[in-house]
Amino acid sequence: MKTRFLFPHKYKKIGWLFLIPSTIFGLFVTFTDFEPEWLKLPMFTIFSQDSLFGGGNVKCFSIIKTNVANEIAGVCFLLSAMLVAFAKAKNEDEFITKIRLESLVWATFIHFGMLLLGLLFVFDFDFFTFMVFNMFSLLIFYILKFNWALYKSKLL
Amino acid sequence: MKNNLKVERAIKNLTQGDLAELIGVSRQTINAMEKNKYVPSTVLSLKIAKLFNKNVEDVFFLEDTD
Repeated sequence: MKTRFLFPHKYKKIGWLFLIPSTIFGLFVTFTDFEPEWLKLPMFTIFSQDSLFGGGNVKCFSIIKTNVANEIAGVCFLLSAMLVAFAKAKNEDEFITKIRLESLVWATFIHFGMLLLGLLFVFDFDFFTFMVFNMFSLLIFYILKFNWALYKSKLL
Repeated sequence: MKNNLKVERAIKNLTQGDLAELIGVSRQTINAMEKNKYVPSTVLSLKIAKLFNKNVEDVFFLEDTD
């Protein structure tokens, strides 16, 4: 079937191959504050402030030195998760497209439902940590739901 | 919408997988249609009817609830 906005099927495997290690690396970076000296590199920034709470030194369109461990984890996770989520199924047809859509709607509800709960019940710095996970959760929920629904439809 | 896909398939002695391959869809799609869990698009209905040498109305039927 002709589809729009989907990657070829072969990228699904490549996606999984990178998704698993980058998830592990991402969790490791987040929970251990992994920031080795050799990953402190000059990076181009569009906008950044050296103080977390404002009032710091503002830098626009310039080079700053920062630790890129979390950038590497985030970029690897996002790219591989996008491949897993949006590569065509082996036999992508209209029924699978319907499962895809329903899973995406379901995942969006859960994602923003969690954000709503987070906004209401999580505060201060914990909210920041929560937001970091929330940034990626739409893709995670979608991948889980879509693959589960696909698996279930095969068992029917 | 109901259909008699299963009957037509039996007459032609095709498995769900055979039919799926002939039409160019996944086996799940045929299965979901036979279980009335999926209403196919017009294109898919026409393709299926053509394969069985039938009119679409002879394979797919409206229900009162449609």
